Amino acid sequence: MPNAAPLETDVAIETPEHIVFRYRVAGPARRGLAHLLDLLICYSALAVLGAIVLLAASAGGVLGADPESLAHAGAGVLLVALFFVQWVYFVVAESVWGRSPGKAALGVRVVTAEGRPIGFAHAALRNLLRAADSLPVGYALGVAFMAGTRRFQRLGDLVAGTLVVHTSDHARAEPIRLWPPARPDELAALPERVGLDPEERAAIELFLRRRGRLGALREAELARMVAPALGRRFDYRHPDPARMLALLYDRAVNAGREEAPPSSRGASPGAAWR
Amino acid sequence: MALASAPNERAFAARRERDWSTLEGIVRIAEQRGPKRLRPADVHALPSLYRDVCGDLSRAQAARYSAPLIDYLQGLTAQSHTVLYGAHAAGPSAEARADAPSWATAFPVAVRRHWRAMALATLLFFVPFFLGLMAALAEPHFAFRVVPEAMLRPLTESYQQGFAAGRASADDTLMTGFYVNNNVGIALRCFALGIFGGLGSAVTLVQNGLFTGAVLGYVGSQGAGLNIVTFIVGHGTFELGAIVLAGGAGLAMGWSVVSPGERTRLASLQSVARDVVVIVAGAAVMLFIAALIEGFWSSSSVPTPVKLVVGGVNFALVLAYLALAGRGARGRRGGRAA
Repeated sequence: MPNAAPLETDVAIETPEHIVFRYRVAGPARRGLAHLLDLLICYSALAVLGAIVLLAASAGGVLGADPESLAHAGAGVLLVALFFVQWVYFVVAESVWGRSPGKAALGVRVVTAEGRPIGFAHAALRNLLRAADSLPVGYALGVAFMAGTRRFQRLGDLVAGTLVVHTSDHARAEPIRLWPPARPDELAALPERVGLDPEERAAIELFLRRRGRLGALREAELARMVAPALGRRFDYRHPDPARMLALLYDRAVNAGREEAPPSSRGASPGAAWR
Repeated sequence: MALASAPNERAFAARRERDWSTLEGIVRIAEQRGPKRLRPADVHALPSLYRDVCGDLSRAQAARYSAPLIDYLQGLTAQSHTVLYGAHAAGPSAEARADAPSWATAFPVAVRRHWRAMALATLLFFVPFFLGLMAALAEPHFAFRVVPEAMLRPLTESYQQGFAAGRASADDTLMTGFYVNNNVGIALRCFALGIFGGLGSAVTLVQNGLFTGAVLGYVGSQGAGLNIVTFIVGHGTFELGAIVLAGGAGLAMGWSVVSPGERTRLASLQSVARDVVVIVAGAAVMLFIAALIEGFWSSSSVPTPVKLVVGGVNFALVLAYLALAGRGARGRRGGRAA
């Protein structure tokens, strides 16, 4: 839970609006997969180009041109393409879109250490330094550097001052609702104030969100591990431990809060609850 | 207390979700089709929607709403931040941009700023080069210690034939491709390996200097010296110069880690790397030029005196460009020579 206890792999970015948000840094496994995907894309394209060159050369041979010289010209084109694959592909993709196609597929992108999109110099430096990171074999040095730095930076990232982060595309989740609503007898016994610390809240929340997907027995089993301790603390008892957690959570989260004032959409949205 | 005055999460979300989905839609278009494809109305709405979501995020954090809502708002803030402060906006300020030299002058200016590293790179390349040349001229078998014999013999034969016959244009394409891939790759690697305190660049420079010298010396010892000089002279300035410059940039980068001065090693590394990356880009362009000359001109049947003159003119032009371009427009800019 980023808002409870920041994970080690989070970086906080402060915007010019003085809002702090967090990026989750991508680890070696995901980045390795993204790289494999990029290699696959590049070398498939190269293979297709090779096939075209081969076909063109043999077609030219049929039409009477010297097939050997055609093959030589084609090989020259292929060598230039190989250069582009090795040195240019990443620089161009990352300076234009901030991520290579492989990174996009795995949901990561490159940002500067300040959380901004990268430019050409960043992209050029971090990708030139691949030559050093890939030593001695298979990015061993790069992975070693990622293990040794707090934000998973390989040499190229350190030199360019960049990070690879998850693009956060969280679907919006509905807030948890107490259902069915609390009965009067449940409310009567419920304490006025339920003080939960953020970790407890997060744990109960996680449980309540997964309730529907757990079996009934497993649900009760999990709830019984927590409910009695909380019950003793707040001096509250309920026959159903899962329901008891839901009630306590609802009281902790919503007690004392207003419902929203009647909707007046469109008119100065942010100002209503200053 | 903040909690008492804040609406509950459900009411908060119900109240704001219309703006959130509008912003989400705008951001999606900008991400998928580029910010230039946004409709004017969207561009107009984006900044205020973004500021509102920033406010929503801080309110949600202060009111301690549930993690999924906060994660969602974080993601939305981050995505719109990326669109709003995108690469197009992330560059230097307009003022700094007006001050900065253009690409064509930034390259020689950066080279001169790091002249000590460049001088060292020149020594590291050309001392082994002349040693290899002398050794191979005096004792041709020395070359086989540096360059495989199987590679040297056919090479020498091809130079002994001369260029009177020219070369098929298809072979020109092949060799140009080879030079692009091989030589630009060597130069870029020569820079990158400088990260290890400059050692990688130094080793690459010495290796290539010795190699080139030995080849030249061996071919010369077999009586084709004029031919190979005729061949090399046109593109040599670009090719060897670019490798020296890329290596010098690597040395400067390596030295910034070894001796960071008043900054931390990382800060020193980053600022010098940012400073020399333009040299590497310039060297890459020089190598492309070299590959084109080498593939299509050096191997052609143009008479030897013409090639020698053109080679000399190329050398003078490149040297003048590096020494003079961008001088006078501005004095020395902030950086530190390495």
